[in-house]
Amino acid sequence: MTDATASNAAPDAPRKGSLLDQDDRTRRRNAAEARFKAYGIAAVGVGLVFLIALVSAIIFNGVGAFQQTFVDVEVYLDPEKLDKQGNRDPADLRKVSTFGYKPLIREAVFAKVQELGIETEIESANEVEALLSASAPAQVRDFVIANPDRLGDTVAFKMLASSRVDGYLKNRVTRDSIARDKNIDAVHLDLTDALRDAGVVEKTFNLSFITGSDASESRAEQAGLGVSMLGSFFMMLVVLGLSLPIGVAASIYLEEFAPQNKFTDLIEVNISNLAAVPSIVFGILGLAVFIQFMHLPQSAPLVGGLVLTLMTLPTIIISTRASLKSVPPSIRDAALGVGASKMQAVFHHVLPLAMPGILTGTIIGLAQALGETAPLLLIGMVGYIATNYPDGLASGFLDPNSAMPAQIYEWAKRADPAYYERAWGGIIILLVFLLTMNIVAIILRRRFERRW
Amino acid sequence: MKDLRTTEQEMTAELKITARDVQVFYGDTHAIKDVSVDIEDKTVTAFIGPSGCGKSTFLRCLNRMNDTIDVARVEGDILLDGEDIYDKKVDPVQLRAKVGMVFQKPNPFPKSIYDNVAYGPKIHGMARNKAELDEIVETALRRAALWDEAKDRLDAPGTGLSGGQQQRLCIARAVATAPEVLLMDEPCSALDPIATSQVEELIDELRANYSVVIVTHSMQQAARVSQKTAFFHLGNLVEYGETGQIFTNPEDPRTESYITGRIG
Repeated sequence: MTDATASNAAPDAPRKGSLLDQDDRTRRRNAAEARFKAYGIAAVGVGLVFLIALVSAIIFNGVGAFQQTFVDVEVYLDPEKLDKQGNRDPADLRKVSTFGYKPLIREAVFAKVQELGIETEIESANEVEALLSASAPAQVRDFVIANPDRLGDTVAFKMLASSRVDGYLKNRVTRDSIARDKNIDAVHLDLTDALRDAGVVEKTFNLSFITGSDASESRAEQAGLGVSMLGSFFMMLVVLGLSLPIGVAASIYLEEFAPQNKFTDLIEVNISNLAAVPSIVFGILGLAVFIQFMHLPQSAPLVGGLVLTLMTLPTIIISTRASLKSVPPSIRDAALGVGASKMQAVFHHVLPLAMPGILTGTIIGLAQALGETAPLLLIGMVGYIATNYPDGLASGFLDPNSAMPAQIYEWAKRADPAYYERAWGGIIILLVFLLTMNIVAIILRRRFERRW
Repeated sequence: MKDLRTTEQEMTAELKITARDVQVFYGDTHAIKDVSVDIEDKTVTAFIGPSGCGKSTFLRCLNRMNDTIDVARVEGDILLDGEDIYDKKVDPVQLRAKVGMVFQKPNPFPKSIYDNVAYGPKIHGMARNKAELDEIVETALRRAALWDEAKDRLDAPGTGLSGGQQQRLCIARAVATAPEVLLMDEPCSALDPIATSQVEELIDELRANYSVVIVTHSMQQAARVSQKTAFFHLGNLVEYGETGQIFTNPEDPRTESYITGRIG
């Protein structure tokens, strides 16, 4: 040993120097490391800036959709006009259309204005109609049909204000912007100001945005996401019910039982490829196979679910296989070693250990499917669905419906800026769902993660 | 390689496993070449040899654990009590119930101690009710010298035990299915000296009931626990005989070199 060191020392003598000063090499290395750290921090910083910009834009634009302007109106339900037969028979009450209710409502509003002594240029009841949503007469009519015995009373209603008035209170509509607007005049805005000061017009939390159904182009104030949320829910049921068992069965077979040969290699490559196929391709496939060939109903959550299942399957298979692979082989050996059959080893030991990973993958897959829009456009799940809630399971799966992202897309297309606000509001709800699902996935992974 | 003393022994002790001209291939690699060996009942047989010599591979042939490796191919005859274990009619599941195995790294299931031991008896339907199962578990844990430490925490996870305890738990798990042969693949390589000596004592006790085959890298361990020793080198069985004989007076120069530390 001593010989060896001596001979090595001859060509280049051991380096001398204090440990306290850095030599050039060390300094350069440290500088490179510091530079790399700075690049990393810069990259993370850029990401954070984008995230903050995105989140604040969404909240800034969308939060308005959760508030809505309502007008307190006390309507005298005149039996003379609403029930000419005077027998309170719901069938007869239905014969009076919403046009019969309009005069009552506008007179009630006009009376209120006069009673408060507000100075306004409006001289006839006809002109106050622009303050109210077109849905107001239907609201009163539904009330009368449901409670015929209240005819003759004066009933207080909380009516939706028109989208212009709502926009004015949310600073979306200004006196400049309505210069060429046929629907509303500056006079109305003055009246709105006065009514707001009197507490008749007020902005409150709008539950029906979350629970309601879509509304027509001219009634933005009435539109809600509730029905399309149910559409998404039924679709997710289909996706979960099909893709979890099929995906898990396929991956267990491929991972644990299938022989390694060209054929299984081919399948494997194709699954990875399918995961990268654009979703609109699945949409047109669903249109061709499920609707045109199998004649399943159009716009139905069942079909949407089937298409999204095709899209989610590769994700679930890939994540399931990865989590099966991550179970250490020693567990399989241990089970086989005590005489368990291959299937027992898989189902008693490997699968439970892989479960958190499988569930996480499934939830992530579902979250992806929940936000998917393109394939839904192709199978027609983007129609105007102003119907009410599906009654029962069968109609939930088979009746035409929309889905959250498709509804948002639909709103964003519409002309009224009030719909633009609702599109952002819909995005907030969608993101809340996605975040919740991701958090559940993280909690599951944390809770069931095992160490060995 | 024929060993004369083996034939002498056949007269006195009952044979459990007879292997003749066993060849194992991993794809194109010829891992085991012409191995013939007789393993006696109620005896500890040690397989020694340098890394990669095929001793573990051969051990895994004895309960067909090599079946799980796609590219592995076994030729030749291995008889357990005169029956060919590679016969088409043999279900490896039944074979493995008879030939238990303990692995190099302690690999308890991430379940409770009780469930670890009870798993084998459960899947083989060895207990008709909970009381019987409890008894099997207790006996197995006692055999593995783990009962005193584990009896108060049978519901605690098996993975929470110390390394030596985990390995004894794995032995208890293997013993619980009442095997006839116990294969141990370097059972002490992950253990400290104290745990090792506990496991070694245990192996010595197990000899009363089972035929034990142990693969080990430690020649001292082979000398301490085994009655018979087989030396493997490059896939060949070089020498097989009484442990004392192998360690004190090896016939083959390769055995001698290995034992004295010159190869390996």
